[in-house]
Amino acid sequence: MKKMIMKSKEKNIILCCMSIILACIMLFPIYWIVVSSFKTNAEIFASPPTFIPANFTLESYTSQFIGKNSIVVTFGNSCIVAITSMILACMLAIPAAYGLARFKMRGKKTFIMIFLVTQMLPVALILTPMFLTYKNLGLLDTVWAPIISDTTISVPFVVLILRTYFLSLPREIEDSARIDGCNTLTAFTKIMIPISYPGLIMTAAFSFLFAWGDLAYALTFISSPEKRTMTASIYNFMGKYGIQWNCIMAYGVLLVLPVVLIFIFLQKYIIGGLTNGAVKG
Amino acid sequence: MLKSNHSREFIKEERIGYLFIFPALIFMLAFVGYPIIYNFILSFRDVNVTTFSNPIKPFVGLKNYIEVFKDPTMGISIWNTLVFTIGSIAIQFVIGLGLALLFNLKFKLSEPIRGLMVVSYLIPMTVTALLFKFMYSTSGGIINELLMKFNLISQPIGWIIDSKYSMLSVILTNSWVGIPFNMLLLTTGLSNISPTLYEAAKVDGANVFHRFFKITLPCLRPAILSVLVLGFIYTFKVFDLVFVMTNGGPVNTTELMSTFAYKLSFTQFSFSKGAAVANVLFAILFVVSLGYLGLIKEDEVMD
Repeated sequence: MKKMIMKSKEKNIILCCMSIILACIMLFPIYWIVVSSFKTNAEIFASPPTFIPANFTLESYTSQFIGKNSIVVTFGNSCIVAITSMILACMLAIPAAYGLARFKMRGKKTFIMIFLVTQMLPVALILTPMFLTYKNLGLLDTVWAPIISDTTISVPFVVLILRTYFLSLPREIEDSARIDGCNTLTAFTKIMIPISYPGLIMTAAFSFLFAWGDLAYALTFISSPEKRTMTASIYNFMGKYGIQWNCIMAYGVLLVLPVVLIFIFLQKYIIGGLTNGAVKG
Repeated sequence: MLKSNHSREFIKEERIGYLFIFPALIFMLAFVGYPIIYNFILSFRDVNVTTFSNPIKPFVGLKNYIEVFKDPTMGISIWNTLVFTIGSIAIQFVIGLGLALLFNLKFKLSEPIRGLMVVSYLIPMTVTALLFKFMYSTSGGIINELLMKFNLISQPIGWIIDSKYSMLSVILTNSWVGIPFNMLLLTTGLSNISPTLYEAAKVDGANVFHRFFKITLPCLRPAILSVLVLGFIYTFKVFDLVFVMTNGGPVNTTELMSTFAYKLSFTQFSFSKGAAVANVLFAILFVVSLGYLGLIKEDEVMD
């Protein structure tokens, strides 16, 4: 018996070491972007490469804050786009997911099918017609163009995962709310929304992340540098900065930072959402 | 006939249900459904930078499609998209399955480390693309430095600027993004396999390989199928990654249908040709999606 326990303890240690090594390899690029952002441009090209910055410097960060259209402006733009798109997506997707989960109706399969299919559409298909449409509507080169198009990516995704979430909640909750005098709408807003907060957090997180990370829409629909989001600006840096990798990496770190913060605080909701949403639709 | 079968209560419930769904549905039809139709019309007309502001855009039939298919880049981009997709799926599936099996062994750190690995999936594609572009570079690129340190190569390889390696480089980068996704879905599949199956097999004297091929793989079949099909759909339409890393180059070696369509529309301003290429991409995806929907039809999603 003692031998058995020993064996499983050893096995535990071996497996832990193995997975730590694998995680280090997988996550090395993330370490590398952070380290490189603290190096001087000369050290970036040093051979052999340094794994810890020899001359630790914040220069590549501080340089992002000066000048016209600095990171302060683009960060603000990214926040406006991502947060507005998140609010819009929540307002549209939460009721839709609830409706598809709780009500009997004709055409339900078709509606679910529409959301499933739109989730699979390539960006390239939407770019050209929407560019021309936004131009006609006068929305080109305004934040609304990327906001609307980013929302079309998050709405179907969120509707489908949130629907399975609502399905998992017992129906009795609403029945008892009805007995206590709620109507359909108040049962939804006063009872269902508060108790389904894990699903709603996941909804908000995903719709924010989709809009935050989008490049294609932001780059195509916005032409004025002062209206660009962070992703579109970092893309344009390649031309401006050439191979000043430390500056590009610093910008990248600042762009990734909100994503990592969201991930750290909402990890369990995000992983739950990914596994639920993707397998079932 | 149908209507008389439904009571007044059903009609009332249905109406409320529609009220919940319609805002999102109308939004999607307006900003996704409409562009699909517009794109279709666009591909049969001649809309470019000169005819764009004219009120009447001439109808040209299949001319755009014919011209696009005459362009050798079209054939190359279809082939590249297939190579890119199949290459990425193969790598991310094998590694994702390996990791899922490892973390399924339920040791002390399995959950937190598995969670940590998901980060690479959430990083904005633009940053991933630039980061790998930096790591692949010939001067100061860490990949070349490491390979030279271990004497695997004697000279730096121009990973993304050499046409021999450019496709491999973008495939590896895309796989890095896709591995956590594959791992998570396969983990869910694995956790649904009853442990009693393995215990029974052990009693019957089945070894590790028997158990893997006779229990794990067959039980994992639905999860594997959806991972592969979803992987195909997501990879086939990849745009940002390749657009930022190579923009299709060098000499079209990484030109995908999505980047080719973008180039036609927004570099050459031949909106109609761009629309035609995007439609071909859409048609292929549509067929695969229909297959996928057929696969999950029996699933609970259609409740």
